[in-house]
Amino acid sequence: MNRSATLAGYALIAAALLAYQLAGMRWRRTPTIGEALARVVGRWPAARYVLLAGWLWLGWHVFVRAGVR
Amino acid sequence: MGAIELPAVVRRAPAVAAVVLYAWWASALRPFSWAALVAVVGAGAVAFAVALGARRRDAPGSATPPPSLGAAGALGWVALWGALAAWELAAYVQHPRGDHPTLSSLADDVLGSHPARALAFLAWLALGAGLARR
Repeated sequence: MNRSATLAGYALIAAALLAYQLAGMRWRRTPTIGEALARVVGRWPAARYVLLAGWLWLGWHVFVRAGVR
Repeated sequence: MGAIELPAVVRRAPAVAAVVLYAWWASALRPFSWAALVAVVGAGAVAFAVALGARRRDAPGSATPPPSLGAAGALGWVALWGALAAWELAAYVQHPRGDHPTLSSLADDVLGSHPARALAFLAWLALGAGLARR
């Protein structure tokens, strides 16, 4: 597998995520990502803190681990 | 004579400007420095606190409850994010990184400039505020 194939895989998955989100917004048969998260957090309140911990880790990973070139 | 009611966009302009300036400053800090760590964790804590405060001000019961998640709907998101995680892991365990880029290595390429990092920092803050409001 070369770089092009890897990037194509990422692009395909990103397109599928976007399509699923748009389908939820348009036809209302599947939940959007916001609705899914709201239901998860509503059912398991502790999930909010897990999500926020992941969000903080993302911030560390992008903005503390690396810098401007 | 009554007080003049400013439009919301005018009232929020100073706060928005402060956030943008903060993102510009925070995204230029040296990697692995205490300043960068404090900037990220501190901004995250503020965003979380502000979003929680806004959530408490909302009228109770005013939000429309989301539709039923359903097993199929949940599985759709689980499958897609699982596919992304699996693809990322497959790239991570292969070498060289140039031929098998991870999301992190791709992000490093895209976020090499200060303006791009500042925009990404703002997007990250907005994501955190959105998560805190759920």
